[in-house]
Amino acid sequence: MRAQLMWRTLPSLVLGLLFLSTPVMGSCLDKDQELLRQLQKQADIMQRTSMLLNPYIQSQGLDKDGLKEHCRERPGTFPSKEALQRLSRQELLRALNTMLDHVLHRLMALQQDIPKAQDLETVNRAKQNIRGFKNNIHCMAQLLPGSSERTEPPPIGPGTSPSPTPTPDTFQRRLEGCRFLHGYHRFMHSVGQVFREWAESPSRSRRHSPRRGLWKGARRVPLSRGNKRLLLRGQLPR
Amino acid sequence: MALFSVSQTAFLLAFLSLRTYQSEGLSEPLPWAPESLKVSVNTTCQCLHLQWTVHNLAHHQEFRMVFQIEISRIKTSNVIWVENYTTTVKWNQVLHWSWESKLPLECAKHFIRMRSAVDAAKTPGPRVWSSWSSWEEADVQNSLGQDPLFIFPKDKLVEEGSNVTICYVSKSHQNNISCYLEGVRMQGEQLDPNVSVFNLNHVAFIRETGTNIYCKPGQGDGIKGTVLFVSKVLQEPKDFSCETQDFMTLNCTWDPGSDTGLLKQLSQSYTLFESFSGKKTLCKPKSWCLWQVAPESQDMYNFTLTAENYLRKRSVHLLFNLTHRVHPMAPFNILFKNVSATSATMTWKVHSIGKYYTLLCQVELYGEGKVTQHNVSVKVDGAHLFSGLEPDTEYLAQVRCANGDYFWKWSEWTHQNFTTAEAAPSEAPDVWRNVKTVQGRCVVTLFWKPLSKPQAHGKILFYNIVIEYLDRTSVSEVLSIPAPASGTELPLNQCSSQIRITASNSVGTSPASVLVVSREPGNEEVEEERVKGTEDGFPLSWNPQPRHVTGYLVEWCEQPRDPPCDLQWKNLGPNVTSTVVSSDAFRPGVRYNFRIYGISTERVPYLLARKTGYSQELAPSDNPQVVMTNLTSHSFTLSWKNYSTESQTSFIQGYHVYLKSKAGRCHSGSEKAVLSDDVVCCKYKIDNPEQKTFVVENLQPESFYEFLVTPYTSVGEGPHDAFAKVTTPDEYSPTLIRILLPTVFCILLIMITCYLKSQWMKEKCYPDIPDPYKSSVLSLIKSKENPHLTIMNIKDCVPDSIEVLNKQEGTRKSLTETESTKPTYLYLLPTEKRYSSPGPCICFENFTYNQAASDSASCGHVPVPPKAPPSQLGLLTSPENLLKALEKNYMNSLGEIPAGETSLNYVSQLASPMSGDMSNLPTNPPEPALCSEYKMQMAIPLGLASPPSSGSSSLSSITLLDEGEHYH
Repeated sequence: MRAQLMWRTLPSLVLGLLFLSTPVMGSCLDKDQELLRQLQKQADIMQRTSMLLNPYIQSQGLDKDGLKEHCRERPGTFPSKEALQRLSRQELLRALNTMLDHVLHRLMALQQDIPKAQDLETVNRAKQNIRGFKNNIHCMAQLLPGSSERTEPPPIGPGTSPSPTPTPDTFQRRLEGCRFLHGYHRFMHSVGQVFREWAESPSRSRRHSPRRGLWKGARRVPLSRGNKRLLLRGQLPR
Repeated sequence: MALFSVSQTAFLLAFLSLRTYQSEGLSEPLPWAPESLKVSVNTTCQCLHLQWTVHNLAHHQEFRMVFQIEISRIKTSNVIWVENYTTTVKWNQVLHWSWESKLPLECAKHFIRMRSAVDAAKTPGPRVWSSWSSWEEADVQNSLGQDPLFIFPKDKLVEEGSNVTICYVSKSHQNNISCYLEGVRMQGEQLDPNVSVFNLNHVAFIRETGTNIYCKPGQGDGIKGTVLFVSKVLQEPKDFSCETQDFMTLNCTWDPGSDTGLLKQLSQSYTLFESFSGKKTLCKPKSWCLWQVAPESQDMYNFTLTAENYLRKRSVHLLFNLTHRVHPMAPFNILFKNVSATSATMTWKVHSIGKYYTLLCQVELYGEGKVTQHNVSVKVDGAHLFSGLEPDTEYLAQVRCANGDYFWKWSEWTHQNFTTAEAAPSEAPDVWRNVKTVQGRCVVTLFWKPLSKPQAHGKILFYNIVIEYLDRTSVSEVLSIPAPASGTELPLNQCSSQIRITASNSVGTSPASVLVVSREPGNEEVEEERVKGTEDGFPLSWNPQPRHVTGYLVEWCEQPRDPPCDLQWKNLGPNVTSTVVSSDAFRPGVRYNFRIYGISTERVPYLLARKTGYSQELAPSDNPQVVMTNLTSHSFTLSWKNYSTESQTSFIQGYHVYLKSKAGRCHSGSEKAVLSDDVVCCKYKIDNPEQKTFVVENLQPESFYEFLVTPYTSVGEGPHDAFAKVTTPDEYSPTLIRILLPTVFCILLIMITCYLKSQWMKEKCYPDIPDPYKSSVLSLIKSKENPHLTIMNIKDCVPDSIEVLNKQEGTRKSLTETESTKPTYLYLLPTEKRYSSPGPCICFENFTYNQAASDSASCGHVPVPPKAPPSQLGLLTSPENLLKALEKNYMNSLGEIPAGETSLNYVSQLASPMSGDMSNLPTNPPEPALCSEYKMQMAIPLGLASPPSSGSSSLSSITLLDEGEHYH
């Protein structure tokens, strides 16, 4: 039990240290690569199911055969990785910000069904992590060209409305919460991968053109393996 | 009152008219039948709620009516509930009735109808019912929606141990729906083709977040479930109590019991209601609540504490007078004044509870392992004098208070430490001494025990020693030994002296201990006695002394094996003649020696008794180191003189000598003993512990023995390991040695004598020139062949020839054979000088002259040069060769002949024997005289010395042998 607590606490501690260099108090790093690395690490930690999903499943008694299989993300709750890749960086950051707001809202609702202080603390730590991540997103958006342009969150497919209709009975709410958290961890995994792709193609970060068109175009053209590598490195011809 | 009488009268009139109506025509319906029956469903509580009215009631008309309600499930004919509901009906009143269904209402349709009757319990006769209302249907399934599967009830809250009914409603007409409770499949019963029911009996609490129950069809992902919140039974609050500390607030506490184990929003709440004031407060904590005391003087309070959750409500009551529930706060500001060696004054303050109240304070004092208690009445400040205290002692004082007018509870203790002042030591130090003489001078070693805390009355700083010499010839000496010393060594100028020892602290000096050292030694010849130790110690006793003594003293060493021995002593009164000496330092297996002294009136100690013993005797752990001596074929001696009986782990009573032998027989003085390893041996017993030698006798020569010497005590004997081994020697070896040694000595003596007298022996036994008269050959010849033979006088012999003996090859002859030998004579003298007739001749062979001839072991042998084959002998037959050889040998015969160069034997001048052999010579040499040959003086074996057949056989004793051929 103590080891389990350590596993839960340790990533939060790492995240806390990461946040020390983030603009919690309104100041941002001006090095986009460093900021990007921090976002990657944060996403890597937040994707771990031990941070949120596993304690939830245990506290709600969903860790039973025949039941935990149903604790899977409902399609459309969170955008897929492909949908995130189709977005430009500005759009992705805006979409992330919006999604994480929804997650925060949902976590607060989930807290009502969590009786133990220990499990509540887990949720509170997850909320702190999300807030820190949002701060870094904000800073990253400041570093991108054209950040002054205020645009609406882009349509990112069926996952644009992640808040499902609240179900009245506790069991369905419990199952939905579990599915939601599963989707959240999967979503953060996808976000981490997209950030990793950003880091692998630094030249693309300088582009100011909408990425959607580029990605769409690139996907339309069947590429050889070598060309795919070039595409990932942002060397596709316009 | 008047209104009540009127209504009662009206009711009776109406009832009478109703009875009249009933009696006139029963077929008519009852005018007050229930109407407008409406049924609603509350799924939260799984309740059917009925609502109806009764028409035709006049204004202000009231009836006590009974409504019979029937409830059917699934179909109207399946009546599951009938209940008579009695109530008072008024004009235009809407009536309500609820019924909670154990089966979730969504699981089945329900039908409800009712009829009414006037409650005429006081009137005899059957009850007259109205007609039934029409069936009202309560069907929730219609409003469920389009999902294919539903489970009911939703989020039901029940108490642990209750029975619950669960059902599912399937709209997809699937039959293979399985339902689970916490992962365990449940077995249900089919209520109708789409509904199955599961009865859960005695549900248990699993977790705070409830028990998950879920169903899923065999195909598809349509899992549905519900959560059953199982609560532990709400317990009644225990130990409900209220009290005040300041007449401002009441603190009410209780024990809520075990938690119901539900989510916070479902957990129980506590409310406090006071009936006199009508006030009520919700207590957020689960075990206590604060109540503000009314500013005006309300003395009596009647509280009701209610614990309530969704399922149950529990209440407890408490009525009390506020002044009887005063629990004062703890006193504070404790101070000590006028602290002396034996007394101190303590003061303290209390929190005021009003000027009309008196506090009773309890003061306790802890010190020196004792507790004293005092009660003090206090208004504002308290004070108490502690007396009879011990000097230089730390005490703990504590105080608590309660309402003096009506005791309810003591306050908490408030405590403080203080220490009394020092005083002069009250007791003289306990002193003892050890006197010894060093270089004719008395040296006293003083020992003293540190004063106990009650005796010292403070920290002892130093010890004063005053030595007064009794003969007054020396000046007294004064010494000061700083604490914490516990002894000192004093060389005295004179033995007869009196020593006074005192202890001093910062305040004063103790009384003195007096010791007198006498020149006369104590009675050291007191016989030592043994004493047996017990668990309590060593019981020692001694005879009372005829002369007056001021006391007795027992002295012993606690570490007798380790010097310094840690001298201990015990002072005893003059009337005491026994004591028990005990100490934690006493160890089993250690011998302790006790000396008991009597102290005379002159303070002179004299030895009374000596005791020795063990607190517990232990079996010896070691055996003596045994030395074996005097080993003979029948006995040996064992010795262990270095074995100390004093330093053993118990009193040695004697020794056992074990002897193992193959014979296994035990002689007198021993007995058979079986050792732990079932080996039988002989055991000799030595009863005297000081006898440390033993002779083992009656042994067999050349036998193997093993022996062991082990001490025995009252608690056992030593270990039976490490037997020593010995083998007795041969019985005749000593005798042989006694014979052989002198013999060898004699031989040696003779040899030495012979060596020293060798010349004499040589002359006597084997002179360089043999004496024929001493030859045995001569005697032999004399006796057997020719008794007339005599020894030729050398003067009578004229050397004229050399006899050369030739030997024919391949012949072997005995000494007596003569035919094979053909002596050749070489005449040294001219022919004309030869004797005309040969005379008898004896040939002497003397090996002294020719070693080579000796080696050839034959007389008359003509040695052949080493490289000359035997055939070359023939060359010697020629005159020239013979001459050469003769010349050479002859010359050699006069001097020394080198070994290996001899080719001819010298034959000394002989008397010419009679012989016919000369005719055999091939040449014509001058005939030599027949000679008797003298051979080496030797004993001739009788077998070989067969008598010759003729007198001419004298030469036959000479045999010429080839080299390498020998007789056997």
